[in-house]
Amino acid sequence: MSLLIDSISKRFGDVQALDDVSLEIQPCEVFGFLGANGAGKTTAMRVVLDILRPDSGRISWNGTVNTELPRETWGYLPEERGLYAKMNVLEQLAFFAKLHGVKPHLAEREARDWLERFRIPEYADRRAEQLSKGNQQKVQFIAAILHDPQVLLMDEPFTGLDPINVAILKEAFLEMKNRGKTLIFSTHQMETVEELCESIAILDRGRVVVGGSVRDVRRSTGRQMVRVAVEGDPEVRWLGTLDGVTVTRHGQDYVEAEVSPGYDPGTVLAEALARNCQVRHFEIADPSLEAIFIERVGQIDTSERTLAPKAVRS
Amino acid sequence: MKGWRTLFPNAWYISVREYRSRVRTRSFVIGTVLLAVIAFAATQLPVLIDFSMSTSQTRVVVVIQASAIPPDSEDLLDAQLNGASTGVDAHKAFVLSWFPAADVGPIQKDLEAGRYDAFLVIDRDAATGDLSFDLRTDIPQDGVAVKTITNAVGSLEIEDRLVRAGTSTAALRAPFSFNVAPVSATSAGTKNISSEVSTTLLSTGLIVLIFMAIITYGVWVAMSVAEEKGSRVMELMLNATTPLQMLAGKVIGNGAAGLSQYAIILAAVVGGLLAQGPIHKAVLGTDAGAAFGGLDPAVLGAFVILFVFGFLLYSLLYAALGSLVSRQEDVQSATSPLMMLIMVGYFMSVFGLQSIDDAWVKIASFVPFFSPYLMLARVSSGHVALWEFGLAVLLLAATTIVALFVAARIYSAGVLLYGQRVSLRQVFRAARVSR
Repeated sequence: MSLLIDSISKRFGDVQALDDVSLEIQPCEVFGFLGANGAGKTTAMRVVLDILRPDSGRISWNGTVNTELPRETWGYLPEERGLYAKMNVLEQLAFFAKLHGVKPHLAEREARDWLERFRIPEYADRRAEQLSKGNQQKVQFIAAILHDPQVLLMDEPFTGLDPINVAILKEAFLEMKNRGKTLIFSTHQMETVEELCESIAILDRGRVVVGGSVRDVRRSTGRQMVRVAVEGDPEVRWLGTLDGVTVTRHGQDYVEAEVSPGYDPGTVLAEALARNCQVRHFEIADPSLEAIFIERVGQIDTSERTLAPKAVRS
Repeated sequence: MKGWRTLFPNAWYISVREYRSRVRTRSFVIGTVLLAVIAFAATQLPVLIDFSMSTSQTRVVVVIQASAIPPDSEDLLDAQLNGASTGVDAHKAFVLSWFPAADVGPIQKDLEAGRYDAFLVIDRDAATGDLSFDLRTDIPQDGVAVKTITNAVGSLEIEDRLVRAGTSTAALRAPFSFNVAPVSATSAGTKNISSEVSTTLLSTGLIVLIFMAIITYGVWVAMSVAEEKGSRVMELMLNATTPLQMLAGKVIGNGAAGLSQYAIILAAVVGGLLAQGPIHKAVLGTDAGAAFGGLDPAVLGAFVILFVFGFLLYSLLYAALGSLVSRQEDVQSATSPLMMLIMVGYFMSVFGLQSIDDAWVKIASFVPFFSPYLMLARVSSGHVALWEFGLAVLLLAATTIVALFVAARIYSAGVLLYGQRVSLRQVFRAARVSR
């Protein structure tokens, strides 16, 4: 009972877009794909959706191979936003719902319900080209979920949305999750992942560099973080002099440091007390996903990497 | 392909969407109205011709000052001036108003007022006893009308002289022997000129109909594919449907929109033909001649079959080519090879109609990409056996089915290829691995 991605490889000409990718995604889970541009996130989603056939490997959902599954199993929000520009929103939504097997007489009602929920009911009779980018994106999201799919795959769903719409979309995510749907999405935004995802996979050049529950991933390095704030000494200079402790950030409220594996973070507190400091804040934490991402992938490279230029990207 | 089993209802939903969005475009509405108006106007051409003829009439007032002119002079002049088209005034080149020995004054005024074009006074020369003619007119003196009048009055002069010499008018009008026959007995003229002409016109017309449908509506299919790709709706469609469903939906939807346009134009033609009589009456006060030409039902049946398969074959290829470009602007250049193929077939049929029994026409009429035109040309000329037609349709249908699968393959690969130029090699490589 899960989405099983089993040793998928896919090559476009000289570019290995996916290299022996294996993942297991549990039902009702919110799963995040992390990776730089061109890391293979979009290709992975397309292969799961059976839009692209992999060179090797297989994919199954609840034990059924993806090529045998009805298309309405999936809901897909592509990275490239597109709607029929001249068609009105309601007609458009009903059209996509019907294509996904929703009964024609239900399609329009469902579409209106969702427009209501996204607080854009007045756009039902407008043409898509008259909507702002953000609202078009909401309409696209509705198009992807109208047929009540079991698994929802979304490629960068939050990019291009203002904070209010991000909040609305997150709300919708949680509602889908509560309805028992499995959500998979790709993103660059680490805070969103930490907030929403139960599990993640970090992709780099077609390979899974690390995957699993967010907690396990954060603990995977074996290192821990300590955050210390001391009364009257905002710099906490002595922290950097300790063996096995590296200061990583001087914040407004605290100083953050990384302690190497095997080093007891409690030593830092003991040292502070030994120095007669008045400790205002002491925290032991796992490294952030951002830190892990940077460590594993090198850097968050937002420039377009030319991994699959001719084949899948413009 | 598993797409077969689930072709409907999705192909149906797509075709309905395609149809609706196509007929709502401004170019469709304007094009249809314009073509319907042109078609209607074309059917009124005979009325226009009759009308222009009626205004080019020469109205002649004839005043007889002479005594004892031959008793049937009026009929004689009328026949000489108008030839065979006697009877209804509207069709005559010359209208005669006959005044025996009238006062010339008021007629002169009418002439100056433009109520008449020419003023002919017939008198008798006291010295010779011959008739004398005095023509006053502003129409060109070296024109056809004056020459015709000269010939006509010449005949009247000869008749008058013969009558005065003692020949009876009955003897003058006595019938004589005149036979018309074909050169050899076997080639006895079974065909008359008008039916030969109308058959050629008809088959040319039907071929043009197929040609226009393929180039116009085929491009619509390619445009609609490119539009979906360009606006990236394609990515949503890909998850919802299969390439085969999309192909079928687009071809059916755009084909139906094209047929609607044809139906409206045809309605304008039929309406125009039906209205020809009443309009003719209103404008000219007389009835029009024959309107409907005969259309052989066998030719019509062949036309429908060849039209459907020809359109399907070409629009599938248009869809495949349309899937290879990323923007609508590139459709024209991407589909130009197909355009060439269509033009070649069309021109072959135009020349083929002149030499319908040549071997190359017969051979080409079985070639699937050309048979929609050439087989139609042969069928409408009546020079074709049923098995020949059946074979051509069979080959065409088989090619269409092959084209469907090839197009679906290219399409499913092409829709994911984005970039300025897509090489053929890239397409085949992508087609091999696509679903």
